[in-house]
Amino acid sequence: MSKQVTRREFLNLISAAGGTAAALKAGSALGLLPNTAQAASLDLKAANASSRKIAILGAGLSGLTIAYELSKVGYDCTILEASHRPGGRIFTIRHGDLIDEIGNRQYCQFDDEPHMYFNAGAARIPSTHRNLLAYCKELDIDLEIFINENKTSYVQDDALLGGKPIRNIDYTTHTRGFLAELLAKSLDNAEMDQPFTDAEAETLMGIISSFGDLGEDHLYKGSFRAGYASGGFLKHGVQKDIIAFRDLLKTPMGRQLLNANEGDTGPVLLQARGGMDRIIQGFTNHVGHQIRYRSMVNAVQVKDDGVEISYDQDGSRHLLQADYCFNCIPSHLMTGISNNFPSQYINALKYIRRGTAYKAAFQAKQRFWEEEDIYGGISWMNNPSNQIWYPTAGIHKQKGILLGAYDYGNGELHTAMTQQQRIEAHLTDGEKIHPNYRNLVEKPITIAWHRMNHMLGCSARWERSRSGWTQEEEELYHHLQQPVNGRHYMIGDQVSMHSAWQESAVMSAQWALADMDQRLRVQVDE
Amino acid sequence: MLKTFFAFSLCTVFWGSLNAAETAREPINDRYCTTCHGADGRGNEGVQAPRLAGMEPWYLRRQLQNFRADVRGVHPEDREGIAMRPMATKLTDASIDDIIDWVSSWEYVPAEATIDGDPARGRNLYSGCAVCHGGSAEGNESLGAPALAGQNDWYLLTQLKNFMAGYRGAHPDDSYGAQMRTMVNTLRNEAGILNVVSYINTLSR
Ligand SMILES: Cc1cc2nc3c(=O)[nH]c(=O)nc-3n(C[C@H](O)[C@H](O)[C@H](O)COP(=O)(O)OP(=O)(O)OC[C@H]3O[C@@H](n4cnc5c(N)ncnc54)[C@H](O)[C@@H]3O)c2cc1C
Ligand code: HEC
Ligand code: HEC
Repeated sequence: MSKQVTRREFLNLISAAGGTAAALKAGSALGLLPNTAQAASLDLKAANASSRKIAILGAGLSGLTIAYELSKVGYDCTILEASHRPGGRIFTIRHGDLIDEIGNRQYCQFDDEPHMYFNAGAARIPSTHRNLLAYCKELDIDLEIFINENKTSYVQDDALLGGKPIRNIDYTTHTRGFLAELLAKSLDNAEMDQPFTDAEAETLMGIISSFGDLGEDHLYKGSFRAGYASGGFLKHGVQKDIIAFRDLLKTPMGRQLLNANEGDTGPVLLQARGGMDRIIQGFTNHVGHQIRYRSMVNAVQVKDDGVEISYDQDGSRHLLQADYCFNCIPSHLMTGISNNFPSQYINALKYIRRGTAYKAAFQAKQRFWEEEDIYGGISWMNNPSNQIWYPTAGIHKQKGILLGAYDYGNGELHTAMTQQQRIEAHLTDGEKIHPNYRNLVEKPITIAWHRMNHMLGCSARWERSRSGWTQEEEELYHHLQQPVNGRHYMIGDQVSMHSAWQESAVMSAQWALADMDQRLRVQVDE
Repeated sequence: MLKTFFAFSLCTVFWGSLNAAETAREPINDRYCTTCHGADGRGNEGVQAPRLAGMEPWYLRRQLQNFRADVRGVHPEDREGIAMRPMATKLTDASIDDIIDWVSSWEYVPAEATIDGDPARGRNLYSGCAVCHGGSAEGNESLGAPALAGQNDWYLLTQLKNFMAGYRGAHPDDSYGAQMRTMVNTLRNEAGILNVVSYINTLSR
């Protein structure tokens, strides 16, 4: 059933009290001065000779941050890592690497070339993630810009124009045009209970017109912003045909497309040149010798004066005694590890749900997208594979690595498939955008985070309802942030209110370090 | 290694050419169970994977074979079974033997109770179960019924609900599951399930 919205109804909608009216209150934005705080500067007390042994469980970014900072001030750190590699969810895959998905292990077959890599976990760094960026600077990690939105990339939905892919620029230009026309009409309407002064209305109309590239008459009749049908350089440009708004409304994808530069992805995005694991290498250059790989923690006992950790390595059991312990093992795995934590702490660990995420990649035999004016960025599909990412690494070289699917937050569908089914799904989805896709790509890899060994999930989910954190959740969170007996700290983006970002992992570590430092200073004062 | 070779050759069929000369690879084996089933196989509520330590070798083998043969963990509503099944899909008979040896090296430690039910009511309900599972829920190999005492209670709840709903034990080749499925109806409803498991929590083998 579709209901026609009359012009009158529309006007009523936007002038309804509480909406525009509330936002119009003068002087309400004084609190919006940009937050100019700098990255945390830790001023840690040097280690005390009698209690300087540190155990770090998991060589995730937060664990490595702890090792790096505490090593600087004289602590003796040991990092126990269950996997064969450091970095956890920061994982760059290259030729020969093992993708340790339980039940579906793969070895990457990409060509052995510096630009042939795939960031299977973290990929983007917003410029506002200043604590992470401060480490990138300190550790001399070469950064480059990450291209998120690319207007020449495609949008595809079976329901839109018979499934024919259109360029992002066509979708966004026309959608903005039509949205602006609607707004302009409502502002033009004299009957409307005018909340604006003439000057304000004039400014607003200017913004609206320019937002949508409206004509003098405030109507949208297409725009050169979408590029030219022909000409444009040596001859006059010819405007492309307009796509009817009703056609564009066949797809809900505007929700994603118009948000590409908002929120977390609003700031300029960066990435580590050569692969995101360069960040991990920056840390391991300093603390790599402290890591014991293939060392799976199986018990954690907090004592009066320290923490005792039991772990398996090379088929035998080992004990590690430490004065302090920092633990970034995912909460849903920690619940299966023997411990003597207080019950409320265990409840908090059990409360967190594990998130899902799924990515897949192909090696492209040729960089066919560059022949279609695409350099970096994302094509969006309204199908389960959802996204294709074009690499910025290796522009104009023969081959490249394409992201062929990214399902963030709901990767269960592909996770449940066999490897062959997953690949076939991505080929079928991708060839809707690039007709010869199937023949142009090879050597697929898939990364189902829900089944990756020693991870089994993506980001911690604290919130059970869409209406925000409940009081119970807040309490459990703050409880988990506090150390057990002042000796054992849970860390990682799981101990933050903004999981799934590296910045959160770094900040959780910095919080724990500052807390430990403060406790030590109090002890000295006493 | 046979398993690796198999996976490798599948890829070759699917993708045509592969470079035979491979760089040194990270070696792998099939002893990956504890990531989900917890330290020393004591179960992990966080991923809903039950205790394996102390499990009877014959029962462990049968379940692995059932998962491998798509007899268990295939019903679309069997969330946890679906998580487990692919973990067994590629196991060889040799790796199942190896896993059984490995599992039997773990100390049996009964799981902690995590649920509140009415064990007194559960006791009555359990009388019908004892015929097969034993008075102390210690299991009975000749009837094919596993020990229940000491198993994670949250897992027992899931299984009884799954048997009742037909998510487990409905496959035509699952004759042991089918026997159990007919028995579960004596518990009648979720309250019955909760109570009987609360009673099983009081038993020790
Ligand atoms: C698909 C995906 C996309 C993402 N995209 C972005 C992005 O674009 N930008 C961004 O900033 N962030 C992104 N993130 C999030 C980012 O990767 C994480 O927030 C960050 O890496 C988490 O670090 P951590 O310190 O919490 O440790 P984790 O990475 O969770 O590491 C935990 C470590 O513990 C180890 N471990 C587990 N069990 C044991 C045990 N028993 N004994 C010893 N060790 C054990 C694991 O092997 C692992 O190394 C993404 C994540 C995923 C999965
Ligand atoms: C990805 C996580 C995961 C991994 C890895 C895993 N399992 Fe499981 N396993 C589960 C879950 C979840 C269940 C519960 C299924 C259910 O509720 O029906 C389960 C159930 C089982 C059962 C049935 C128990 C019973 O009492 O009937 C056995 C046996 C088992 N797993 C053995 C293994 C073995 C052996 C391995 C290693 C080869 C293994 N599992 C690896 C998640 C896993
Ligand atoms: C006729 C014999 C019989 C009776 C009576 C019986 N069971 Fe079972 N039960 C079995 C068998 C056989 C299995 C193993 C099924 C399989 O191999 O998949 C089983 C499995 C189970 C399991 C799953 C265990 C696991 O580790 O996954 C539970 C739980 C269970 N029974 C509980 C009960 C309860 C409670 C009762 C009483 C209401 C009961 N059973 C009565 C035969 C029986």
